[in-house]
Amino acid sequence: MKELPNFESQTRPDCAVIALNGVTREYSGHGSIVRALGDATFSIVAGEWVAITGPSGSGKSTLVNLIGCLDRPTAGELKIDNIDVASMTATELDRFRADKIGFIFQQFHLIPYLSALENVMLAQYFHSMTDEREALASLERVGLGKRANHLPSELSGGEQQRVCIARALINNPPILLADEPTGNLDAANQTIVAELLQELHRNGHTIVMVTHDPEMAGLAQRRIALSHGKVFCHPVGGPVVTIRR
Amino acid sequence: MIKLSLIGMLRRSLVHRRARSLSALIAMTVSAGVATALLTLYADLDAKLHKEFRSFGANIVITAPATAPLQTDALAKVKQAAGSDALAAEFAYAVATTDQGTPVVVGGTDFAAVKRLNSWWQVDAWPQGQDEALLGQRAAGFVTDKKLVRLTFAGHPITLQGAGHLRTGGDEDSRIYMPLATFTGWTGVAPTVIELQVPGGTATVEATISRLKQDLPEMQVQPVRQLVEGESKIVDRTHALMYGAVLLIALTVAVSVLATLSASVLERRRDFALMKALGGSQMQLMGMFLLEALVLAIAGVVVGFFAGSAAAWAISEGNFHTATLPHLSVLPLVLILNLAIAAMAALFPVRVLRGLQPAALLKGE
Repeated sequence: MKELPNFESQTRPDCAVIALNGVTREYSGHGSIVRALGDATFSIVAGEWVAITGPSGSGKSTLVNLIGCLDRPTAGELKIDNIDVASMTATELDRFRADKIGFIFQQFHLIPYLSALENVMLAQYFHSMTDEREALASLERVGLGKRANHLPSELSGGEQQRVCIARALINNPPILLADEPTGNLDAANQTIVAELLQELHRNGHTIVMVTHDPEMAGLAQRRIALSHGKVFCHPVGGPVVTIRR
Repeated sequence: MIKLSLIGMLRRSLVHRRARSLSALIAMTVSAGVATALLTLYADLDAKLHKEFRSFGANIVITAPATAPLQTDALAKVKQAAGSDALAAEFAYAVATTDQGTPVVVGGTDFAAVKRLNSWWQVDAWPQGQDEALLGQRAAGFVTDKKLVRLTFAGHPITLQGAGHLRTGGDEDSRIYMPLATFTGWTGVAPTVIELQVPGGTATVEATISRLKQDLPEMQVQPVRQLVEGESKIVDRTHALMYGAVLLIALTVAVSVLATLSASVLERRRDFALMKALGGSQMQLMGMFLLEALVLAIAGVVVGFFAGSAAAWAISEGNFHTATLPHLSVLPLVLILNLAIAAMAALFPVRVLRGLQPAALLKGE
């Protein structure tokens, strides 16, 4: 096992689509301060597939929050597409998130009363304006063109996850942020989704994937392990970065 | 062509959660319905209560000075001063003797006017002809033949047909009434009292008294104090009661709507968190939620207005025996009340929305 001191040796900062430099996130409450993420420094280049791993409570959600622009760091610099998001207002962050991040969730999170097509259009709605043709094309891309008018309850888990991926892709975001994308799927559907992510990666998408699944993590080029400051696994297709809390 | 609009999403959301939506709609409808019913009744309350009080008879008594009877045009002047919707009847009194030798107060009046003025009098049959008399319940015992009433005044006898009996529980029970023309022709005594009933509250009665005193300075004009004050107190207390009822119901409904809207937000926290993750701003999410509360409030007002108006009609018909028509004028007040309830009830859920942590919620934590 090898612990690497900083990201400079592993990535090219000039190509970094995500760059964290000394990012810390602390929460205060009940008279004490809890450090959820401490002094995180690494970067992810455009087109890279990175797996973030670590046990529960290791700060994965905090990191996803920050990279997904759902939260801002307490200290440090966080750049997405070369823009420092730490100084953005909440409204700017909402706009930025809609432009830059496509979310893929473990539990799919489709709106139950909207069809597959409308669920995809929902991301367009909050981004700019809805376009049925584009949304349908996005569903066809994940192999669900014929299921466009079905409600989530009429789709299998795998199909729902593919709708979720189509929704994440619809606004052409530079970053796909996948949080346990196969955590709720059976083996057959895991394979389908894994292949889909691989295809997206081949097409040049940057994928940041939180996962507990070693097989899924193995698909990534690089693994970022979150623990109590120690590297606990070797890199798969790339170096491991350890985030110290 | 499929369009995804805010209104469309709102409609689908409300239909999808139909039980929750219905529960909120019922609460808002109850609020609007009760407010409409009470405000509609409230708008008509004065008129209805004053109409009820009219059945208690005169609220002003005009008496001639001790030295002279009323002038012949006194009644016309009183009616002119009191207004066209006032009721008035003049009375002349004398003490006569019955065929049994018992002194009895006899009165002359216009029965048609008295019938309208004193609708509370219990009369089994009103006199129709000029030679017919109305016998007070006790006075009937002073005459030998109730069908043929023989009276004498200052040596002048008169025989009248007893048309019916009168029961009031007051002095009237000891009197015998006859048509004014018959009375004046028999006794030569002119009217000395005018009983007047003015519709309206204390202020109206006092204003009428002032006008009468000005127009008829030689006469004594007195309010029937107990009636006027009693009416005023009852009207004021009923107003206060209705205000209190509206506030109490509004508060109860607000708590119910608060619970419903809070549950609605709590069970959809993940939907809102997802929308936030997709780029929805705080303002957009709160706007969606408040629009939902607004739609429910307005739908509640529409349904509640009709239901409340129907309830007001039924209550009015049952209690006052007259219909109360829907008052469009109460609609803005009901709308404001329902919007205030919805806004108040939405405060807590909006706080929940502000504190949403999408990453944790979408992770299922």
